[in-house]
Amino acid sequence: MQAGIDSRLERLLGAGGVLAESALLERYAIDGVSPKLVVKPENAEQICAVLRVCNEEQWTVVPFGAGTQQHAGRPPEQVDVVLSTEKLNCIQAYDSGDLTISLQSGAPVVEVVDACAEHRQLLPIDVASERRTIGGALSTSQSGPLRAGFGSLRDFCIGISFVTGDGVSGRGGGRVVKNVAGYDLMKLLIGSYGSLGVITSANFKLFPAPQQTTTLMCDSDSLVEALAQRDSLIKSPLSPIACEMINPAAIEYLHHSEPRNPDNWAPERSNTSDKISWKLAIRFAGSDRVLARIRIELASSSEVCGAEEAGFWKQIAAFEERLAARHRNVMIFHVEVPISQSHAALEAADDAATNFNFVAAIVGRPTIGSFVIGFLPLAIDPPAATQYAGAASDFRSRLSKAASAIVVHCPREAKQHFDVWGSTPTDLDLMRRVKHALDPGGILNRGRFLVG
Amino acid sequence: MFSFGVTNKLKRIVGSDAVLDRPEDLMLYEYDGSLARGAPKYVVFPQTTLQISEIVKLAKHQELAIVPRGAGTGLSGGSIARQGGIILAFARMNRILEIDVANLRATVQPGVVNLDLSNALAPHGFYFAPDPSSQKACTIGGNVAENSGGPHTLAYGVTVNHVTGLELVLPDGRIVQLGGAAASSAGYDLTGFFVGSEGTLGIATAITVKLTRLPESVATLLAIYDDVQAAGRTVVAITTAGITPAALEMLDGWTLRAVEASVHAGYPLDSAAVLLIELEGLREAVDEHAQLVSELCRNSGAREVRRARDENERQLLWKGRKTAFGAIGRISPSYYVQDGVIPRTRIPETLGKIDEISKKYSLTIGNIFHAGDGNLHPLILFDARDADQTQRTLDAGREILEYCISIGGSITGEHGVGMEKQDLMGTLFSDSELEVMRRLRNCFNPDSLLNPQKMLPSTRTCKEAVAPGHASLDAPVSSAGVELR
Repeated sequence: MQAGIDSRLERLLGAGGVLAESALLERYAIDGVSPKLVVKPENAEQICAVLRVCNEEQWTVVPFGAGTQQHAGRPPEQVDVVLSTEKLNCIQAYDSGDLTISLQSGAPVVEVVDACAEHRQLLPIDVASERRTIGGALSTSQSGPLRAGFGSLRDFCIGISFVTGDGVSGRGGGRVVKNVAGYDLMKLLIGSYGSLGVITSANFKLFPAPQQTTTLMCDSDSLVEALAQRDSLIKSPLSPIACEMINPAAIEYLHHSEPRNPDNWAPERSNTSDKISWKLAIRFAGSDRVLARIRIELASSSEVCGAEEAGFWKQIAAFEERLAARHRNVMIFHVEVPISQSHAALEAADDAATNFNFVAAIVGRPTIGSFVIGFLPLAIDPPAATQYAGAASDFRSRLSKAASAIVVHCPREAKQHFDVWGSTPTDLDLMRRVKHALDPGGILNRGRFLVG
Repeated sequence: MFSFGVTNKLKRIVGSDAVLDRPEDLMLYEYDGSLARGAPKYVVFPQTTLQISEIVKLAKHQELAIVPRGAGTGLSGGSIARQGGIILAFARMNRILEIDVANLRATVQPGVVNLDLSNALAPHGFYFAPDPSSQKACTIGGNVAENSGGPHTLAYGVTVNHVTGLELVLPDGRIVQLGGAAASSAGYDLTGFFVGSEGTLGIATAITVKLTRLPESVATLLAIYDDVQAAGRTVVAITTAGITPAALEMLDGWTLRAVEASVHAGYPLDSAAVLLIELEGLREAVDEHAQLVSELCRNSGAREVRRARDENERQLLWKGRKTAFGAIGRISPSYYVQDGVIPRTRIPETLGKIDEISKKYSLTIGNIFHAGDGNLHPLILFDARDADQTQRTLDAGREILEYCISIGGSITGEHGVGMEKQDLMGTLFSDSELEVMRRLRNCFNPDSLLNPQKMLPSTRTCKEAVAPGHASLDAPVSSAGVELR
């Protein structure tokens, strides 16, 4: 069977386009399951051809960018083919006058952000890792500090091209900033975790880069106080480009940069933690006059600027990666709640973590209701798999129906004991129909997503 | 099938005062803001989601098409009953269900008028950002269907950027929820996908939208030009300078004179073009940007830049812009408005091209548009009673849109495809791309019960027939049965 796969795909892609050595394949393992093959197509046509073959033969396919988020999702039973977008890594067109850019999906976010910066323009995707690709950011609906000021990927991705599970080219939007011709397929593909199609390219609207920024730090003794500060910010006329809340347990991950041995380290449950404050870090852009006004409005805060400021926001954007690097056994949630439920949700996280011997490290966007919550295992010995399930279920049971709490990272043994996706307010039957429409053979990330 | 049987069944669902079936009553629902017409068999005014679910089940059983309709202000024929059937009119589902300031959300029924929502939010210091020119009449449900924009979407985004949750009735009568008050949620973003689907996927019966804070300070500038190209160059200059105004609108000389005759907005009659530029935000930022933009305008060749001195003057300048289509209606028996989009840097040459097309077809074409995001609204004036003029109008419109496509643009920025631009979808998208869209429509609306023959072009193998007596702009206009306003 495997020989058949090899030769058919090699005919399509050439010998350099197919990897089959087992040592290499292990590097592409998804939750410990190694693929039978890794393919590296060079363009959208080759992706169509590969997917048509895979669909015919019912071989399961995992779309793969840099692999930085492949720990998300349910564990796959079987992975036949990993489809890497490594060779689709170009900036296809950059119209700086129009503030739009057209990118292949395998292009690394950091390279694109740097290219835009050269023209004093901003693609407001946070650089969460040096390797993450545009396709990966779209598929996982990556969200970071800049979302508070510039919106999410769904707000500034203006066009998308992809290939469906059965090898048909799809496209939504285009290269102009305003466009309602046809269905908005950008919305559908963003956050679909590679379950609807392989994204081949995407177009974005860019923003003028802020001329100067400053960050004001507000310390609070409690969550309640920190959220009260958020509320007065929302009521004020100020429009920050980022507003991030950091709980005492998370602060440590924004300072030390040298990784320690993740297996021999656990955070100390500090009995003085009440004295360490919650922080609200609010970043503003504007002229001297504008920033002077902001300093007056937020007089009680301390200010961070220059290189220190840039460094701080880099740490915030890399928070998740930092948690995972330090704690192999961490459980990381992406939590989305209506903003008035932030208090209840964050308290619930703290309680659930404590009940199951974790410490909750929280960084997030309180003006949107979007948080990253790490459940750090307290004990040096890895926790039992059921402990993760217990903590996740305890946490989720305290959230409203409008909320989502996706586990994007946890030990694969634990995944057998609960659903990493949790519940959603959106109708599941419709999601299944959409999945079937774009991946009729069910070959894309089979078994890994919320549906299909 | 006896029609009175259906009437009675509909009346049993919604009440006897909520169904129209007499030709003289139905006539009012034959058209929208576009050129197309089509006669429904019934118009129904539901009041609840459950009633809609019942109506949909009945329609499915009777094989009647359903076309949802808000205020009928659409410009692409989206709410025209192309196959007869039932028009679902939302006039009686016009309640604001909840204003939830703590979550920066409001939940409304689809028939709520856009401006009524903003007015209701104003005392709380908020508004609903999408502001189509028809906002005094158009409904939030219609905005969701068309993914409507407006002048201020340059800075704040179109409708989809402001909707977080929907309650839908599907073509099988099932009532489902998509999203909610949270900014996003686990699974596919079907809420975002639904917005702009032009009534072809389901019927939105409750809509949760984001609230936007009213700005602290607003400056409205009027830049006056003797040369329309200079106005176009200013748009490029402002974009490249890294300033994003809240709105950046352009009216050419012909259009502004027509507007001035109707509303006396204060546009100078001897100018070749004006730019209406609005800056919003913190006082300090607005003052600085207003100064900078004024300089950019002058450097690009504006003869004068005025700043509205007070709210009255500001409102008057906007009144001119927002009532422009009405003003044109005073001077021309018919007009045809296009909605093409181009890359912003191509505005000067595109205006030249439109001028060329106007001469080629011997038609007057006014230009009034959202210059900041490259969304053109050429207004072609004609007399619908003149078949030759009408044909030239349609040809000119098509040529403008084909030009937009050729320079990397789109056929619609905010009005939707509807039944007006269906045949151009094949120029913009490949067969396989349309096939993907068709599959998605079919998984929501398999029998094309909802808003049939809209947005996606019919496939060659399965050409849906156009009922006689119903207008179709993708059929030759000279053919019998086509009626233009």
